[in-house]
Amino acid sequence: MIPVDDAGTMVVNRHSVADALSFHGVTKRFGSFAALSDVTVAFRRGEVHCLLGENGAGKSTLCNLAFGIHQADAGEIRLDGAPFRPSGPGDSLKAGIAMVHQHFSLVDDMSVVDNLILGQARGIAWRRAFAAKLEELTTRYGLALKPFARVGDLSIGERQCVEIVKCLIRQPRILILDEPTAVLLPDEIKGLLEVVRRVAVEGCAVILVTHKLAEIRDVADRVTVVRQGRVAAQSQTPGQDIEALVRAMIQRPLEALDPAMAMSLGISAGSEVKRRAARIGPRGPDALQIDAVTVKDATGVVRLDEVTLTIQPGEIVGIVGVEGNGQSELGAVLAGTCPPSAGRIIVGDLDLTGRPPQAFSAAGMGVVPEDRHAVGAITGMTLTENLFLDRSRVPTRFGLLRRRVMREAALTMMAQFDVRASGPDVAFGSLSGGNQQKAVLAREMTRPGLKVLLAAQPTRGLDVGAVEAVYGLIRAASERGVAILLISSELDEVLAIANRVAVLYRGRIVGECRGEPGQRERIGALMAGHSA
Amino acid sequence: MTISVPPSARQRTRLWPSGLVVPLGVTIPVASVLASFAVGLLLVVLMGAPLGQALSSFLDGAFGSSYAISVSLNRAAVYSLVGLGFIFANRANLTNVGAEGQIAVGGIAATAVALVPGIADLPLGLSFVVPTLAAMLAGAIWGGIAGVLKARIGTSEVISTLLLSFIAVWLVYWCVQSEHLLRQPMTSAATLPESLPIPETTQLPLVTGDYGAPANLGLPLAFFLAIAVAVVLGYSRFGFQLKAVGFNPLAARRAGFSTRQTIVVAFLVAGAFGGLAGAVMLLGDQYSLKAGFSSGYGYDGLVVGLLARGSTVGVIATALLFGFLRSGGISMEMGAGVPAALVLVIQGLIVVSVSGAAFWLDRRQPAKE
Amino acid sequence: MTTAMLAVFIGSSIRLAMPLLLAAVGELVSERAGVLNMSLEGMMLAGAFAGAVGSWSTGSPLLGLIIAIVAVGPVALIQAFLTVTLRANQIVSGLGLNILVLGSTTLGYRWIFGARSRETIPGFDRWSPPLLKDIPIFGDAVFTQVWLVFAVPFIILAIAAVLRFTVLGISVHAAGEDPGTLDRAGVSAVRIRYGVILFTGSMAALGGAFISIGDIHTFTEGMTNGAGYLAIAAVIFGNWTIWRSVIACLLFGTATALQFQLPAMGVHVPSAVLIMSPYVLAFLSVAGLAGRQTAPKALATPYWR
Repeated sequence: MIPVDDAGTMVVNRHSVADALSFHGVTKRFGSFAALSDVTVAFRRGEVHCLLGENGAGKSTLCNLAFGIHQADAGEIRLDGAPFRPSGPGDSLKAGIAMVHQHFSLVDDMSVVDNLILGQARGIAWRRAFAAKLEELTTRYGLALKPFARVGDLSIGERQCVEIVKCLIRQPRILILDEPTAVLLPDEIKGLLEVVRRVAVEGCAVILVTHKLAEIRDVADRVTVVRQGRVAAQSQTPGQDIEALVRAMIQRPLEALDPAMAMSLGISAGSEVKRRAARIGPRGPDALQIDAVTVKDATGVVRLDEVTLTIQPGEIVGIVGVEGNGQSELGAVLAGTCPPSAGRIIVGDLDLTGRPPQAFSAAGMGVVPEDRHAVGAITGMTLTENLFLDRSRVPTRFGLLRRRVMREAALTMMAQFDVRASGPDVAFGSLSGGNQQKAVLAREMTRPGLKVLLAAQPTRGLDVGAVEAVYGLIRAASERGVAILLISSELDEVLAIANRVAVLYRGRIVGECRGEPGQRERIGALMAGHSA
Repeated sequence: MTISVPPSARQRTRLWPSGLVVPLGVTIPVASVLASFAVGLLLVVLMGAPLGQALSSFLDGAFGSSYAISVSLNRAAVYSLVGLGFIFANRANLTNVGAEGQIAVGGIAATAVALVPGIADLPLGLSFVVPTLAAMLAGAIWGGIAGVLKARIGTSEVISTLLLSFIAVWLVYWCVQSEHLLRQPMTSAATLPESLPIPETTQLPLVTGDYGAPANLGLPLAFFLAIAVAVVLGYSRFGFQLKAVGFNPLAARRAGFSTRQTIVVAFLVAGAFGGLAGAVMLLGDQYSLKAGFSSGYGYDGLVVGLLARGSTVGVIATALLFGFLRSGGISMEMGAGVPAALVLVIQGLIVVSVSGAAFWLDRRQPAKE
Repeated sequence: MTTAMLAVFIGSSIRLAMPLLLAAVGELVSERAGVLNMSLEGMMLAGAFAGAVGSWSTGSPLLGLIIAIVAVGPVALIQAFLTVTLRANQIVSGLGLNILVLGSTTLGYRWIFGARSRETIPGFDRWSPPLLKDIPIFGDAVFTQVWLVFAVPFIILAIAAVLRFTVLGISVHAAGEDPGTLDRAGVSAVRIRYGVILFTGSMAALGGAFISIGDIHTFTEGMTNGAGYLAIAAVIFGNWTIWRSVIACLLFGTATALQFQLPAMGVHVPSAVLIMSPYVLAFLSVAGLAGRQTAPKALATPYWR
């Protein structure tokens, strides 16, 4: 580990000829928020340099500065020792920097080849020539892609493959990958890391953003930890420094971490995690029954295929699967926003099949939707209004809102669920991700007669403190006897807090097992579609 | 396709050196109105018209007599009604650009009902209330069509209301052209293509009771409805629902609000306001249906709604401004030979500059990470 | 209907469809790149006005046509600045521009022509290509047109080819589907959108000038009379594909031609109904009778990097 001085800045290393790209005292602000402050770091040719940090720590900002999406407010970026000030991605691409973005950066409605041509050529689009180039690259790196397939029809893994090829076809000198593995299956991750390794060996400087410690162990030559926009630590021997790196990332003793949190970070093996026994009495009436539910989308494609699942009061059931295997549809069915084409949904003893969302709410179904911006809340309205974003709970008298009553209740909920905001009347969109999610949980968990809580991707994009709070709230609800359905793409998270795990693959439940770390391998195989 | 005039729920405020807080949402429209007027004056000078004469005939037309003032107020009433309908639907993020057509069908319905034998003899003011209600119903249907299309198959309401306007304007033409419809009986070749004048009892009462100052009930009605709209939008559950659907239909649906119902109701109301405006024009001012009856009132009202940025007070203020502006413009053309199209230039400049200024009014938080 | 009447009908349908075609194909390119130019009507009107003034003052309709294109440039530039740089609402700013152009052209017309209003303006002569002109009846009625009419199919073919076979076409497609991705591929989405709006402006200018100096040989206040909105409806009717949009324009042109044809045939339909008919057709098409519409994903949404 390279020591870090008190101010949190790293002891500056001299410019080395091997440095392909270096940041010198770089600062970037968004409004009053400093996303990066005084960051100094160098990336060398032939190395895989991992950036580790919590959500919001500034890793992506760092990548976006190098790629020219944002411009630094202070400090200097150097490319091969010369000052580099890209005014847009075009400049960076010309300089030999390629980037795989955190979210797919592909045009769904175009073919693979057209996506590759974008920004790569002028004049006539010689699609055949590009297809041949693509062929050559994919064979060289052991990938497989159909050049004329429409990107929108590809699987998540294949799309990520297009992203990588899109970069490789430019023969970059610097390759930036921003959390490229977040959406991939274990096997696909392995393949991707191999490609990354080879690219580095060929002399490219690779910057890999990740929060998975296993990946750091596998490929990293060097790790830089970013915390609150500053460099918190650096290591040239990451394999040996994992614990120290994590400590630098979360800045507190590992022992104080919630065991589930520790496990989903990948620091404890899991066997020593003390599991709280779920209070499930003798098998009584189910809180939630999903009975052979089938969902077809507008084009007739089956998205959920005879899914059957029951949950007892107080039980936590996790649903895992690679994104796009029916999780969103399952969430929508249980929220009442997508009536199933066949099958039944029963909450308590009420058959809610085909009923509108308000009937689900009335029956005691709380929903934390997977996308809190798109479905869970309305960012343009106030915190109070969002806490009452429920037709049956808006307090009215003669059709008029009782604003005072709402405000007071909002203050109570904020205190109870630790929602931190300057007041109940601030715009919801101005809250941090963690506080937004706590507010959504507050609304759903204070629902009168709550029987079932559906939590879809409840910790996505949250920092460690907020994740712990969410786990705590979910457990508290379970102890109150609420049945919980946890849909998550973070396998470790589900294993850490669920009593039972079901695997969704292509809209079917392909396997169920107890929520134990020992089941990891088996679940991984099921997620990939291998029958166990 | 999403089309939004951002609802101005809460405007950012700017602190001036004196410590006086002026909302940017007021400063910018006022500044752009003033600047557009300045350009207008400049054009008058450039065109070589005598500025003094132009101004005096402008003022004469707008405020010169109790007659002129009454005409301006009647105009303002129509603009207010259209503007109120616009901000109502716009709260649900719907852009109703079809007021012109809603006025037209309102006018047709008001004329047709007012001319039905027996209506004129109804007691208790029903003689003018019934045609007014018919106009509102017709406007609501015309707006509702766009709402249903939007709710059912997602047709852009901007396109559908615009096309419906063109259709409605030609419907008026058809009605006054054909004797089977509303054209007055042809007694000679010189019979004008217009309807019979409506009976006096079906006319909207004048506030003054004097044809020399023919300010009708429209403006008091608009004031009353402005208060009602303000209460519904700001303090009712339905207002909450409109706002929720306007900001985020998915989240609103999750919360148990029906987005389809909201969209249709919002358009029914906006259309009814347009129809009411048509009734006020016909029953309170024109007294018979002629081709080109709506003559751009709907589009002017749309501009009023846009400028008001969601505020009912803004609607009334802008409507009054435009009412006097239009009257003055017409008088300027007659008195000083400056084409009334100058008013269009000024209006266009206002809309363009206000739409561009939204950049500063609704500036989005930059995305973090 | 006699053959001669049919020929005249076809000829006038084509003539009336031309301004729509030029504007609609231009607008199609914009919409494919994610920009809805509600100001198409204003651009056409500005083109009609500038073409008329240019042709009248220089005596050459060709110069008038060029002046029209140049004069619409600033209108398109304002539209681009408002919607791309300032990210203004595309509908509202477009409607504002339409009002502004209507006012300015009316004002300008009175100012320039004053008392000489309704003066005939030098316009393009009709011409017919060598072989086609010898076809009996049809040669004269259908193929004797302003030369611009014969250029239009080639213009459309060229646009279709650029959209389909060039990198620029792919970039335009990407700007309408996912401008962020385009930007991250190193192509400025802002530049593409400015470009398509200026292009649409030029096409609308051609369409507008066609009305004033190609067809009617005069300028009247607000003479485009909703043609721009019809062109937008044609693009929607065409489900954002070039060939279907072309067919829609021809259909609207035919509907307009009917209002002159039917009375000549002794069929008495109120003229209001006939004038209304293209709008009714357009309305029915957006009301879903033309099948499910799939608009470019980023249509009418401003782009934030």
